[in-house]
Amino acid sequence: MNKNYLNLILVAILILTGCKNNTNEVVVYSTVDQVFSEPILKDFERQTGIVVKAVYDTEETKSTGVMNRLIAEKDNPICDVFWSGDPIRNGVLQSKGITTPYQSKQTSLIPDLFKDKDNHWIGFSARARVMIYNLKLISPDSLPRSIFDFTQPRFKGNFSLANPLFGTTTFHIATIFEKLGDTEAEKWMNDLRTNGVVVATSNGDVKKRVMNGELAFGLTDTDDAFEAKKESDDVDYIFLDQQEDAIGSLIMPNALSLIKNSPHSENGKKFINYMLSQEVEAKLAISCAQMPLIKGTVVPNHVPSLDNIKPMQVDYKKTSEKLETIQPWLKAWTEK
Amino acid sequence: MDRKVSRNIAHIVPSLLLFVALALPFLLLILQWLTSSNKMTLFSFFNGPNLQLIGKSLLISIIAAMLSTFIGSICGFLLYKFKFPFSGFYKLMLLLPLLISPYIFAVAWKDGFFWLFGNAATVYSEAGVIMVHTFVFFPFAMLITGSALSQIHSGYEEAGLMIGSFRRMVISIIFPLIRPAITISFLLILIFSLSDFSVPAFFGVRTFTTEIFTQFSALYNFSLALGQSVLLLVICFLLLLAEARYLSDAPFFSVSVKGSISKKYDTGKRKILVHSILWALLIIVLLIPVFILIVQSLSGRAFFFSQALEFMFPAILQSIKLAFAGALLTTAVGLWTASEKERRGRKFPNFLLLLTFIVPSTVMGIALIRYYNLPALHFIYGTSLILLIAYLGKFGFITSRIIGNGIKQIPVSFEEAASVMGIPSNKIFLKISLPLMIPSLFTAFVLAFILCLGELGATMMVYPPGMELMPIKTFTISANAPEALTSSMTLVNLGVTVVLIMLFFIAGKWIFNKFQYA
Repeated sequence: MNKNYLNLILVAILILTGCKNNTNEVVVYSTVDQVFSEPILKDFERQTGIVVKAVYDTEETKSTGVMNRLIAEKDNPICDVFWSGDPIRNGVLQSKGITTPYQSKQTSLIPDLFKDKDNHWIGFSARARVMIYNLKLISPDSLPRSIFDFTQPRFKGNFSLANPLFGTTTFHIATIFEKLGDTEAEKWMNDLRTNGVVVATSNGDVKKRVMNGELAFGLTDTDDAFEAKKESDDVDYIFLDQQEDAIGSLIMPNALSLIKNSPHSENGKKFINYMLSQEVEAKLAISCAQMPLIKGTVVPNHVPSLDNIKPMQVDYKKTSEKLETIQPWLKAWTEK
Repeated sequence: MDRKVSRNIAHIVPSLLLFVALALPFLLLILQWLTSSNKMTLFSFFNGPNLQLIGKSLLISIIAAMLSTFIGSICGFLLYKFKFPFSGFYKLMLLLPLLISPYIFAVAWKDGFFWLFGNAATVYSEAGVIMVHTFVFFPFAMLITGSALSQIHSGYEEAGLMIGSFRRMVISIIFPLIRPAITISFLLILIFSLSDFSVPAFFGVRTFTTEIFTQFSALYNFSLALGQSVLLLVICFLLLLAEARYLSDAPFFSVSVKGSISKKYDTGKRKILVHSILWALLIIVLLIPVFILIVQSLSGRAFFFSQALEFMFPAILQSIKLAFAGALLTTAVGLWTASEKERRGRKFPNFLLLLTFIVPSTVMGIALIRYYNLPALHFIYGTSLILLIAYLGKFGFITSRIIGNGIKQIPVSFEEAASVMGIPSNKIFLKISLPLMIPSLFTAFVLAFILCLGELGATMMVYPPGMELMPIKTFTISANAPEALTSSMTLVNLGVTVVLIMLFFIAGKWIFNKFQYA
């Protein structure tokens, strides 16, 4: 090919793809829904002057992009901080040697229950697992009050659960296995199958099916339920297993991890400190009804308070380990 | 002698560059898989249930590919062999399903079924996957067979019509001439369908691709996922190898010559029938899903279009710039690899593009990350150049085939005559070959542009931090955003692409008029 043409094409490609290099930056990989996480990152940028370069992923895409990236980039990380919607993924990265401990004045504001004991991840603003239901299809009086009620014949084929291999549903199921023991938990899962549980692709899919009136109720997270209530008057949600002898509702904090050998680790630490603040927790409470973990954070009335919910007692590390052992069984269950 | 050496260098250096930039990442990944895995577990994926799953996936994709090719070929035949009003409008509109992500299509169709029948259970099945894949991929067959039909020399058809009826001429002359185009359409769609995970995952249908995805994303079992990917790669490779072996040298590619006028027929009394068929198709494959998206976008408690525009605005310009650069690169490399294959008999560069074309997106992403994520190569990995490499790997083969077909239409005698007259080879290329190739170069560029603009799978894996691109933004915002906002964003995405396609359409008309008979 003529050299001039080739040069012209090369110059055009370089102009079109040219990027500015900025050292005062922090690279954040986030699996938290962009619609909620992006405004927080923009605020950090405005307040500190540190440019945030983000890579977003979602539970809808099963966090494939971000998790596989972090694992593949292990030897030469370009990410500084991983912001996950639940601590399970941080646990996976920790076990693969991708995260590094971080401790500061801000991290000490978080109760011990919601952070890794070695500080590989630190939790903040939590969501909970709730049951969303369609008021047109089921009356509040006849709702199940426990996840174990889902196996009752009167609910047959009328409820949904997201694919237990992905997202917060994995976490939820792993905690149930941890609580009940494998045999009993497997029996419960099989009973769900027998009772016609509809396995949705994601929590968002569960929300949509209940909102549309395809199904009467389903398990999802508080942020999904909160969005559903904003979109429709026909839906509401409740916390399950709140009775005295019940196991309680699963509480899932967001989790931040500093990446080992990250290129902008100092900015990464500043970012983590910023995130572990009442200001950020208040913003997340307003935007997606997340429950603050730092005492004294002011939140709107409609945001549930952890003080009023009976939480499930969870050892996050043990749950992570449990998850790894039950995944082959869960995979077989989804394929039934 | 010197000339021969420099010609060899001119071939070897770019081939080596292409190999190092594109193929080596995959070979290293496979090598890593072979060496790091436990010998016992290395081929553990090679078992009865997995083979059954492959069989099931192949069956679904074969049915989808057959239906798409059938519908696409009928459309191609009607639109490229008949003269009737608004045929340009139909060509443009029927191309649009290619621009909507299969996942969005699946969601829209599921909602459509629920609204229409009060139950969406039917669509959560293999039939749902086949339906969505058929509607999304049939424009490929329309484009490929349409292009083949418009290049048939009118003399063949006229000769056929002198001795037989129109129907007989179609069966005996046109069909055999476009058979290779139909076969390549079928194989391309089969591969696209086989490697898509979003639609079967949404409809809860277990296929081999969803299995690979689960191994990667739920179980983080890279070794098994890579092994399964290699198996998928081998299947796709064998399919395309068959195509290359038996079809690329079929008579179709050499009978037609540039400068010929393709024959177009009047629809006559069948005008209403033709319009009815095309409208019915348009309604089913495009208007119903778009209508559902519009209804969804208006069904929220607020009007979300301005917010959707605000969200999308920074991503639009960036996406267009990148898709333009990607199309430019894939067309330039496609031109070179096609010239090497068709004119010099060197198939290696084309083979490299074939190899990367059939690699699943997630595997491509991981291979590129592991290879380019070295400090010395961060000028590629941390910038948009990594996306261009991914685009080249994904779409280089398609541009190479389109341009290769264009080159085959140019009689070698044109170049030989010029060479005998002592005209230098670069001048022959610029003054004779290039003008004759412009229509196929333009088609390759436009198709590559559309594909780069909407690419999601590999882009999701390698896009540089901080970059905003239309398909990524639509997808990441779609989680937990109100449905009305997500649908509005999809419509903005679609609107931008339609405007760009219309601009290309206008430019194309001018280019084809100027260069078709050059």
